[in-house]
Amino acid sequence: MSKDVTPGATMAGRPGDASVPAIEMVELCKDFGKFRAVDHLTLTVQQGEIFGLLGPNGSGKTTTINMVSGLSVPTGGEVSVMGYDVRRDARRIQQILGSVPQETALYEELSAWTNLDFHADLFGVPRREKKERIIRMLELVQLLDRKDSRVGTFSGGMKRRLALGRALLHDPQLIYLDEPTLGVDVHSRRAIWDYIIELREQGKTVLITTNYLEEAQALCDRLAIIDHGKLIAVDTPEHLKQTYGGSVVELETVQPSDAVAQLRALAGVKDVVQDGSRLTITTQDNSNVVPQIINVISHQGEIHSIAVREPNLDEVFLRLTGTALRD
Amino acid sequence: MLQELSYNLRVVWACAKKDIKSALTERAFTIIGVFVPVNVLILMSLFVLAGSQAPTAVVLQDTGPYAQQFYVAMSHAHSFRLQKATEASAQDLIETGRIVAVVTIPPDFDMRIRQSQPVRVDVEVNNLNTDFTDDIRRAVPLSITSFYARALPHLVTVTPEEHDFYPQDTDYLPYLAVSILVAALMLGAVLPAGTGSAREWEKETVKELLLSPAPRWAMLVGKMLGAFLVSLASVALVLAVLILVIGVWPVHWDEVLGYTLLTLAIFIALGTLLGTLLKQRQAVVALALGSFVPLFFLSGAFGPISFATPAIQFLARIFPVYYAIVLQQHAFHNFTLNTLGTGVNVLILCGYALGVIALATIVLRRSTVAH
Repeated sequence: MSKDVTPGATMAGRPGDASVPAIEMVELCKDFGKFRAVDHLTLTVQQGEIFGLLGPNGSGKTTTINMVSGLSVPTGGEVSVMGYDVRRDARRIQQILGSVPQETALYEELSAWTNLDFHADLFGVPRREKKERIIRMLELVQLLDRKDSRVGTFSGGMKRRLALGRALLHDPQLIYLDEPTLGVDVHSRRAIWDYIIELREQGKTVLITTNYLEEAQALCDRLAIIDHGKLIAVDTPEHLKQTYGGSVVELETVQPSDAVAQLRALAGVKDVVQDGSRLTITTQDNSNVVPQIINVISHQGEIHSIAVREPNLDEVFLRLTGTALRD
Repeated sequence: MLQELSYNLRVVWACAKKDIKSALTERAFTIIGVFVPVNVLILMSLFVLAGSQAPTAVVLQDTGPYAQQFYVAMSHAHSFRLQKATEASAQDLIETGRIVAVVTIPPDFDMRIRQSQPVRVDVEVNNLNTDFTDDIRRAVPLSITSFYARALPHLVTVTPEEHDFYPQDTDYLPYLAVSILVAALMLGAVLPAGTGSAREWEKETVKELLLSPAPRWAMLVGKMLGAFLVSLASVALVLAVLILVIGVWPVHWDEVLGYTLLTLAIFIALGTLLGTLLKQRQAVVALALGSFVPLFFLSGAFGPISFATPAIQFLARIFPVYYAIVLQQHAFHNFTLNTLGTGVNVLILCGYALGVIALATIVLRRSTVAH
């Protein structure tokens, strides 16, 4: 091991260079036998952003971040972290990466303190700072009062918070969180979101995988939608909604309408869903088509209520992949 | 350089400390690790005790001095576990399967010996097991020869002139018990080390290790150190049973200590490799329990491997168990069981340890997670 990668030593050069992407994937592939889990994925994550990988279970999100962190070897393509190649510079990357795996990887038979203490030793946190940093992290994730409790006695949310505290203990440049709020109660979810937003404010880069649209929308500066290992779209949540969502017109009529076929025939209408007297009409662009929709419905009967709203990410996902995210 | 060394040592100690704490919380596996080796030692010793001497009843119909001397000659044959019985009770014992043979010394035994007449000693054998039957068939003529050599030496003109290689005779149990010690050490080391490594994979905590920048070898050495320290409890117990209960007193105490720790280190390394490869504790336990018996039988446990066939000798020399047995037999009985010398045997074992550590490091380096 060369001296400059000894944990605790100062990292010089590229990691500090803001022009270098935090993560760069080029034509990244991963095969398991004949099954292609990640299919020619090309993505760039910039430093200082919260970037989300959004996709249903089995879409290749975890496989992708496993390749980023060096836990899994790519079958093809390239991936670099802060300019370092994962194949050649895995140890440098591990030093600047903080990880919260899906299953947390905490030693449940040991106390919270022992888990962090072990992590500090593995990552070479300077001895004189170790105790202070562990206390600070336990305070941050609000578990200082449970420092001596066995992790096995913790709730799912507490374990996630502890795993997050552990990932931050060695002050990483880039943090990845795999399904950070999976199985977590609402209160803990909000707390974890707050920590993640705080990380961005500290200038850290955060990569999260999630299949919670609400989470992606609340946290991510940019999102990549992945399905069957392929990149479907990448943009900010707002742009994704604008580009792929159009507007949604929600109408309620006094009597169930029989104008569905007519509505579908309108230029600019992408989809019409009828549920009794309620109609949900997805449009490509609301500027022209909304008056026409109202016109068609009003000729069929009385309109009880009407609302025009932005599409949600679920609708964007449905549009892009043809399936609902939670299928 | 110093910073790097300090960091690596820190990783080693952190992994050892963590594994000791984890092991202490997993009581079932700790109990298995401590008591299985002792159990093996006791069970196999009992097997030796039960199997080495044939329970035999002697019906002394003559109580004269020659008859008594014949009985003594039988008791020195090291093949019988004798008990005196009446004709009726001896018959009952053999019919109920509690003894292998009934030897009846006839009422005119002394008289016929004095008159140099042929004597017929009746031997009734329950020949359901040829191992015991052969013991009886060998030992009765041996007892007759011994009897004549002692009672009527002028009649025995051919006598052996024995020159012993070693100053002391060693019974079968003390010899075999030392080999059993090696097998027990193997189990006592492979089990905690293997389950400790496999547990990381089973509980998916291995990600914490694989995601760290710490050198893989340092993590493995740390895990081995942890398992080594945990195993010392079972080693102490096994040695205490061997020395204090079975009564095998070592000739070279320092060698016993050194070779025991070396043997432990090798099997700890082997267990760590197995755990890293198999990734499941049940598989490690099954393999450890399943392999120790064939390795034990293959590695010269019952006598010097040089007495065995060339094929067995070749196979034995592949495995470290053989070299460990050679060294422990020297430590306990001062025996020299091969021509390599203790130094070379030690070097071979050290080579095994380093080789296994290197292999385990490669396996861990190449380990990835399946997602």
